[in-house]
Amino acid sequence: MSAAIDLASYAGSDPIFTIAEEVFGAMIDTEPETLREWFGPAPGFGDPTYAWVDVGGESPGRVLLTTERSTATRVTRGLLGLGPDEAVEDADFVDALGEVANVLGGNVKALVPDPGALSLPRVSHAAPDGPVRDLVHELLLDWRGACLVISVWSLP
Amino acid sequence: MRALVIDDSRTMRRIIVGVLRSLGFDTLEAADGREALDVLESGVQVDLACIDWNMPVMNGLEFVLAARANREWRDVTLMMVTTESEHGQIVRALAAGAHEYLIKPFTADAIREKLQLLGLVEWEVSA
Repeated sequence: MSAAIDLASYAGSDPIFTIAEEVFGAMIDTEPETLREWFGPAPGFGDPTYAWVDVGGESPGRVLLTTERSTATRVTRGLLGLGPDEAVEDADFVDALGEVANVLGGNVKALVPDPGALSLPRVSHAAPDGPVRDLVHELLLDWRGACLVISVWSLP
Repeated sequence: MRALVIDDSRTMRRIIVGVLRSLGFDTLEAADGREALDVLESGVQVDLACIDWNMPVMNGLEFVLAARANREWRDVTLMMVTTESEHGQIVRALAAGAHEYLIKPFTADAIREKLQLLGLVEWEVSA
């Protein structure tokens, strides 16, 4: 996946930001333009949530969403149309975050020529283990004041 | 009209079911292609199947091929609703027998427009 996403060909616009905007605009938010670039370094996540999918093929890769668990819970509420005081069950949390990773990953996969199959999504409080090769791209996003990180990794 | 929503994500099933119910559909759900075939084999009449691609047990493309192989289900309209957005994948699904293709993320309006194109939802007539 490393050389496959030619970001320079998008004339200054980040295609992964565009994908994230579409995902949040269509599925999570009722208001437009709640997603913007995060300025400054990423904050340390004290209680992180990781959601990811892997892309197979000749240039295997991983699309990983990382954020604070509280932010991930708000994302889940948005996706499920729950109110701010409604409880989020663990199963809904895992399923919803997995689906966000699935949609992000599937659309990132489309940027790659001749990609392989998309894995089923995984969600964890621990970072994905196993070897990775390179960080291909990292995008820090500000969603309603909270930081989300979308990173694309090449896999061995 | 009755729709069968096939997706391993219950979140996504919930979203699609909500849109379809708002358009007047009765809905059934299946978590993978095999479960969906079980529903069809039970004899339940289904007018529309909304099908995810990547699912465990039996994926959406395998379901489309299986559904198209049975003449009893030839009137079921098959619409892929998936994150697989490469041109080649769209061609594969349509060649296998899917009637329409909707890429995630989608809006409720996008589902309605696809179903209007398929003749399953009436076009709104402006005054």
